[in-house]
Amino acid sequence: MGLDPIGYKPWDGERTEHGRRFLVVAESILRHKLKAKWFLAILIIGTFLVHIMPLFIYSLIPHRELEAEVMRDYLGNGLYFIFEVILVALVCSDLISEDLRSNSFILYVSRAMGAKGYLLGKWTGAMVTIGLFTLLPPLAVAIAVTATQSGPDYLGSLAVIGQTILAGVWSAILLVPAGLAVSSITKKKTYASVGTFMFFFGMTIVAGIFGNMSQDWNLLDPSNVLYQSHTVIYGLELSDSVNRYLLGAMVFLLTFPPMALVYYRILRKEAGNEQRGGGTSPVQVVRSGDRAEQLQHRRSERDHRDSRTQRGRQEHVL
Amino acid sequence: MGIGDLSDQGGVEHTITARNVVVRFGNILALDNFSIEVPKGIVGLLGPNGAGKSTFIKTVLGLVSFDSGDVRIDGMDPRTEVMAIRDRVGYMPEHDCLVDTMTGLELVTYFGRLSGMTKEDSIPRSHEVLDFVGLGEERYRPTATYSTGMKQRVKLAQAIVHDPKILFLDEPTNGMDPLGREEMLELISRIAASNKSILVSSHILQDMEKVCQHVIIINGGRAITQGPMSVLLDQGRDRKRMQVRGEPRALAAFTDQLRKGHEVLSVSEEFGQMTIILVNAGPSAPLLDLAKRHGVQVRSYVPDKLTLEGAFIRSVTEGA
Repeated sequence: MGLDPIGYKPWDGERTEHGRRFLVVAESILRHKLKAKWFLAILIIGTFLVHIMPLFIYSLIPHRELEAEVMRDYLGNGLYFIFEVILVALVCSDLISEDLRSNSFILYVSRAMGAKGYLLGKWTGAMVTIGLFTLLPPLAVAIAVTATQSGPDYLGSLAVIGQTILAGVWSAILLVPAGLAVSSITKKKTYASVGTFMFFFGMTIVAGIFGNMSQDWNLLDPSNVLYQSHTVIYGLELSDSVNRYLLGAMVFLLTFPPMALVYYRILRKEAGNEQRGGGTSPVQVVRSGDRAEQLQHRRSERDHRDSRTQRGRQEHVL
Repeated sequence: MGIGDLSDQGGVEHTITARNVVVRFGNILALDNFSIEVPKGIVGLLGPNGAGKSTFIKTVLGLVSFDSGDVRIDGMDPRTEVMAIRDRVGYMPEHDCLVDTMTGLELVTYFGRLSGMTKEDSIPRSHEVLDFVGLGEERYRPTATYSTGMKQRVKLAQAIVHDPKILFLDEPTNGMDPLGREEMLELISRIAASNKSILVSSHILQDMEKVCQHVIIINGGRAITQGPMSVLLDQGRDRKRMQVRGEPRALAAFTDQLRKGHEVLSVSEEFGQMTIILVNAGPSAPLLDLAKRHGVQVRSYVPDKLTLEGAFIRSVTEGA
């Protein structure tokens, strides 16, 4: 290293709008994930197992139009849910936990974006990344089926394509908050990914255990919540056994409280309440600390005086 | 202005002013009627751990809200114009804060864009500031592989990439070798030459003494001393430190005689050796004669030069 004899140069360019800076975070997440081999591997395997087969089957089997029920059942496939959970667990695991571990969080919030911009950027990045699995391939399937239909009702198929877009986005909206919430409560991405995976499958197991007692318990299963909400999105009738209020409550519980938790955690970090040890803590007990500080400084003053005395002896003995 | 003001600083342009700022965290008082004025140039923010330095910086950045008082940063209020303030402020935190997976160049570019630069502006500007801080080909390596000195340089680069008007540097020389420290101080001086306000917080007082033109000493959530460095250290002029040995009675008579002719600031005795701090602008010969007449042995007689360390300790202990 070493310094070149160059002076500091000012920059006088135009700044972008504050409200758009979260997109930089989202873009960085997407670019980073697309560079990761594990992500590409899971995305390719998942797409092949979940989407490629329906793409060929639904396109090749003679059909008059794209049917909402077919798309709902295709997105209600267990493999679709499993791969989405795996992707959410892996994609979201490091989004917040790594910033907390490396303390880079402070660099974000000291910029003109704040906690909301940070959270929005992380959420958008996760949504776009998960959308590569939940949105793009189903959209491709829907377009392929529409392109190969024999019937004349292209408008109806177009409506189902629109519903498929909604369903694909909704699939990510429903599961990403939990992934971000788990990522915000730990500094280790491994714990975050395992925690997210266990969260979804724990709920599925509990729903399976208690589902025999009452049908309502089945709504504890996130895959069931996803299936039933897809039913609503595709404009199909919900089964009578599905409690609408409980479904609404589960949708709420899977989305808002996890995001509120993440926001709360970010605000706490922003104010520095959980700053790592070893340095100056912004929160100090000023009053109770006074005595200790006085003692410490008296001690250091005495040490300082002694060292000067020693120096004086050596240099100025008369 | 508050206690320990060293000058009235009339006519000086201040980039940050805080008046009677109170910050509480529940029952904890972090800033207690905190009042300072930060002029342009390099300003040292000194204080023991837990004094309130970080809380003040977070208050300025709008990360911590204050209960009462008034804060102005470049004429703006952090309660209402926090985003505009953050665009004008650069922050170099004390702790490691780099994203391990990014290269130095990626990191500086990324945070440049988060500060409002376009991608087209941010990339050449990042190269420019990385050249400035002295990071060569290492900029293409992940920051996880960097030495402490390189990390400090990248932290500085990300803080200045968007050309902030005000710069907060928290322990900028932390963990650096002597050469690296010198270079970091040189960089700070070069940045300050472009009409910026740089607030440096450090425990390495020798470093602060080298670069700072102005000092603010904080303790217990209050600014206890503030003013130009030259004025702060000038308080030690003509002060002399004399160390003498002798019979207790002779020492007592000597000090009594000394008080009659000079201003004696302090007398302390430890292990039979007496240390006298006095003000004497004249020659030392009369004092030595006086000692000889009283049978007192003078072990040393040196200027009691006030270092920043001494001034800091004195301010903190007097202010406590």
